[in-house]
Amino acid sequence: MASWGVMKGELYDIYLSTAFELRKHLRRRRLLIIAALAILVPLIFYATTPDTAGRFSIASLRFLSILMIISAAMFAGDAISGEFESKTGLLLFPTPQSRTSIFVGKYIAALITTFLVATLYYIIMVLQTIHLYGASEIPPELAQSYLTASIYVTSVVSVVFFFSSILKRSIASTILGFVLLMLVLPVVSGVLSSQDIEPWFIVTYSGELIISVLGQRSLFVGPGGRVTLETYGPDFGPGIAVMAVYTVVSFVASVLIANRKGME
Amino acid sequence: MEYAIKTENLVKKYGKNFTALDNVSIEVGKGDVVGYVGPNGAGKTTTIKILSKLIRSTSGHAYIDGVDVNKAPREAFYKVGALIEVPGIYDYLTPHEMLTYFGKVYRMGNDQIDRRIKETLELVELSAWEHKKIGAFSTGMLRRLVLTKAIFHEPEIVLLDEPVLGLDPAGIVEVRELIKRFHSGGMTIFLSSHLLGEVAEVCNRVIFLNKGRVIASDSIKNIESNMKYSVINVRFLEPLSDERLEALKSVQLINGVELEDNIARIQFDGELETSSRILRQLVSLDYEIVSYSLESMDLEDYYISIMNENKGAD
Repeated sequence: MASWGVMKGELYDIYLSTAFELRKHLRRRRLLIIAALAILVPLIFYATTPDTAGRFSIASLRFLSILMIISAAMFAGDAISGEFESKTGLLLFPTPQSRTSIFVGKYIAALITTFLVATLYYIIMVLQTIHLYGASEIPPELAQSYLTASIYVTSVVSVVFFFSSILKRSIASTILGFVLLMLVLPVVSGVLSSQDIEPWFIVTYSGELIISVLGQRSLFVGPGGRVTLETYGPDFGPGIAVMAVYTVVSFVASVLIANRKGME
Repeated sequence: MEYAIKTENLVKKYGKNFTALDNVSIEVGKGDVVGYVGPNGAGKTTTIKILSKLIRSTSGHAYIDGVDVNKAPREAFYKVGALIEVPGIYDYLTPHEMLTYFGKVYRMGNDQIDRRIKETLELVELSAWEHKKIGAFSTGMLRRLVLTKAIFHEPEIVLLDEPVLGLDPAGIVEVRELIKRFHSGGMTIFLSSHLLGEVAEVCNRVIFLNKGRVIASDSIKNIESNMKYSVINVRFLEPLSDERLEALKSVQLINGVELEDNIARIQFDGELETSSRILRQLVSLDYEIVSYSLESMDLEDYYISIMNENKGAD
């Protein structure tokens, strides 16, 4: 009975922390900026309209991974390190709220915002598809792509959140998370693929499922650059499992590390 | 006796070579205002950070109202408000938004939160700024706002770490007055400071810390009554001639004289009776005295004397 009471208290604290974090994102206008990007970027694809709705979706979704990584870096990059660096933790931590509930709330807020960005992107893209090709042409695999993207969101947010827990400066955790997901991991995937080794264990490789479920295998090496793979593409089940492992391991490690961090 | 704050053999080590706190055991009674005094690096902030679960001690225990802060932090922290160092602040929020969040963390109802926002912002004279972005606040206003956060949930115990740090003289006076008002409201206050004037003015007890060890602890009253007054300041009507100065120095009970214009600092054995006898002798020797007063020893002198003793002990 007592443990249920404690659990209820913790859940309420997580809710408070999530709501407070979302309010801060709104006040700092970060959410508005990234939401504007989620609306404006798909509109670029009006410039070149492929012959089928499927190809249009593939072309448009190429930028979604980048946008999700930017969003994760913006909302999770300073979630933990920022409290220590800017000393706002001196206000936040000496309260009845446990650090775990504070950090879990921050994580959920970063997840919600990045998930909203991805959702907004898909909505705009679907509206464009209807406008250009008609509602009947919407690829049925788009729902699977959306679900995959939703799971990918959790893994990229977790990875950036992990850097936020281990680094002291928020700019360092933001940039490192961004560079790792945007550059390092895709390059490693590319190198391994060229050596006939399938990089199944790399989360950005699994992230290609967002597009490959629509019928194309491709690997991003950075904004604007693309390497098409002839041999390897992520399988759906293992790909989702890899994302889940990255999510759980990075998130649990982040909370454990952040809980032990001293506010010196 | 019930203690609002208690530590038992608190030790905090950084690496193998540096001991920030060395078996610190302190007790703060309910309703007391206790000054925690020591030079920079003495371990004051470290103690307060352990009490407010910002850092963990290497060993020992810290209790808030009898509750171990590491074992039951939630229970302990409903009773505590804390202002530690100069905290960062969410400058894109308004005081209303920030205080509402903390009110909910302390499980206050919406009506209670609204009432306390009005009350506390009025107390620190920030009512007009309730819905303004904190980023526009001056240093003094920020300090008053974070003090508001510390007392927002009407805690029984308040931990204040260098509360006047970075403030101008007017700001310092304002914060001191606030602390006095908190105490008159029945709060227990544990105040770390290296400003002795501040401690002497607002505290009823003082704990001296040096190099991570408690070196003295007493009530301000006891300290003041135990202080010896060993100098008398005498102002004469006119500057003394060399002859009159020599005559003064030769008075039996006087140990030494320093003269500047018409003011003499007379050293004696510190006994009040001796002081009275010296006065009688000076009058009988026809010295024209304008004023005659014992030079008071303050908390600063006491601090210096115990620090010197501590140096000797090392």
